Amino acid sequence: MIRNIVILIVIFGGVNAFAQTKIWDTFAGTRVLSNHSTEMLYKHNLEFRIEHRFGDIAGSNGGIQNFFGFDNAADIRFAFEYGATTNFDIGIGRNKGINQQTEVLDGFAKYRFMQQEVDGKHLSMTFVSSVALPYRKASTDSSSTAYYQNFLERLIFTNQLLISRKMNDRLSLQVNVGYHHRNLVAYNDVNGMFFSGGVARLRVTESFGLITEYNHVWNRVSGLGQKNPLSFGIELLTGGHNFTLVLTNARGINENLFLSNTSSDWLKGQWRFGFSINRRFKL
Amino acid sequence: MKNSLIRISFLIIIVIGMLSLTNKFTKNAQLSDFQELSVQDVLIQLGAEKPLHYLEKTNKDSVTMGYEIVHFGQLKDKSNKRVSKFFVCTDCHNQVKEVEDLSNETASERLKYGMKNDLPFLPASTFYGQYNKIHWYNGDYANKYGDLVIPTRDSLENAIQLCAVQCSQGRELEKWELRSILHYYKSIEIKMSDLILTRDESEKISNNLGRNAPKLVELLKSKYNQINDATFGDLNPSEPKAYSPNLENGKYIYEKGCLHCHGMGKDITNFEFDSDKLTFSFLESKLEKHNHFTVPYIVRKGTYAVSGHKQYMPQYPLQKMNNAQLFDLINYIKAESEK
Repeated sequence: MIRNIVILIVIFGGVNAFAQTKIWDTFAGTRVLSNHSTEMLYKHNLEFRIEHRFGDIAGSNGGIQNFFGFDNAADIRFAFEYGATTNFDIGIGRNKGINQQTEVLDGFAKYRFMQQEVDGKHLSMTFVSSVALPYRKASTDSSSTAYYQNFLERLIFTNQLLISRKMNDRLSLQVNVGYHHRNLVAYNDVNGMFFSGGVARLRVTESFGLITEYNHVWNRVSGLGQKNPLSFGIELLTGGHNFTLVLTNARGINENLFLSNTSSDWLKGQWRFGFSINRRFKL
Repeated sequence: MKNSLIRISFLIIIVIGMLSLTNKFTKNAQLSDFQELSVQDVLIQLGAEKPLHYLEKTNKDSVTMGYEIVHFGQLKDKSNKRVSKFFVCTDCHNQVKEVEDLSNETASERLKYGMKNDLPFLPASTFYGQYNKIHWYNGDYANKYGDLVIPTRDSLENAIQLCAVQCSQGRELEKWELRSILHYYKSIEIKMSDLILTRDESEKISNNLGRNAPKLVELLKSKYNQINDATFGDLNPSEPKAYSPNLENGKYIYEKGCLHCHGMGKDITNFEFDSDKLTFSFLESKLEKHNHFTVPYIVRKGTYAVSGHKQYMPQYPLQKMNNAQLFDLINYIKAESEK
């Protein structure tokens, strides 16, 4: 199996001993909509991110009463992310959190081990490992997923491989495969989830693009009301700032939250508006 | 007796011939050594005054350190702090000759020589020969930097400091760093071989070394530009008379000028782009806006340091990009966006 994967990587990745012109800007930033992209920060660049997801636009919790979700904040994330080298990023963030997992700190390490080239490698590949720590007071309800008995039960992990290709000046595609693990889950849920996803970015103009992002969990337990997160968004690039506007059924922003904790249903109007803003600084 | 006279005469002829040949070789050797002399040293040997930044000779280690600071912003072993977190000198300055004839550093000569030698087409003057200039931050730079240029006009050291602190938005250089850069500058000063001199002029100068020869000093100084002047052009320039677009020039300016800093992956500016149709359409669509995304505006005005965004783009004075070249760039962008 591993041998086959290596062969596939060699075939699709391409091997070229000579220095080639690298392909940049497959995606506008290190995130697509909610999940990571294969893009990295430049070395010694610090990025500050503000991300926000509002309440349901429609359905029983939406509508004019809460101004289509704008009165509620489903999740909020502030984060600092840093390019330690050209191909290695680290980051730390704080999330409002969703469901039982609130007051969440998250951190990640991200390594790009292949970058698409003009006449060389055909793909970019990045591996991301992230962890989330809900630090809220443990619940006293033994049926709650926040009924933490020790520190380790709080931890949530996600490891994923991202593979992308800039098809042409306008279209970029990305697939991701990964494993998501929660140390404490409901008694009938599973701790480990295998997931995969896909992303497409279409640049309409130099500064405006359309994006869609979907993640599918393969071994989700049925009957728990969990849904796969599907998002649509637009990006507005101003040079220095990236604005991403999102419509999504996921309440959580971080991958450790939206993969397993999405329960909103697009068909019931349980989708929400969100946005991300980032600002980069040179250190 | 007769035979002896013939022999003696023959011997004399051979000796005279050898002497004349030896003299010829010596002269050639002298001329080749002369070509290797630095212009600064020749000027001093002709009686010119030494400049304030004069160095007797280069120190190899200092040259290396100066080279590293100029090219990488700090020493390669990272034992000193980066001069600027935004720029290195080579973002705006070439390090080699930019024109064939150093007495004619016009924008069109720069472009011709730059295209021939595949040089970046940059807004600031090359460091090659800066050691030989007599004034810095000339002309309209006073409009951009105000009184800050006053101490730099007559001092290369002060000019380097202003560039470090203001242009690159970095820190003041320490004394040893400044000295290292000066040593590096000296290592790329103008040599006699860089100048276009007639054989007669060369011989006159070489024969008068060590003598006070003010006329020859003037002659030598006329062979290269003493200063890099700067005239800021109109923000909304009109097409020059009898102008006909040269898209090849426009392509060169775009690729070797704009993309030198704005190219993807360079991490010099926040506004990165490449040579795809979306970029050209974007730049074309902004041509009439008169803001920082408008090519003629940004080329002629640059940007300024503001709070929270300290790095800024220097403008191209007319001496670095003339209006015909600017229109070549504009026409190239239009042509590419219409493809």
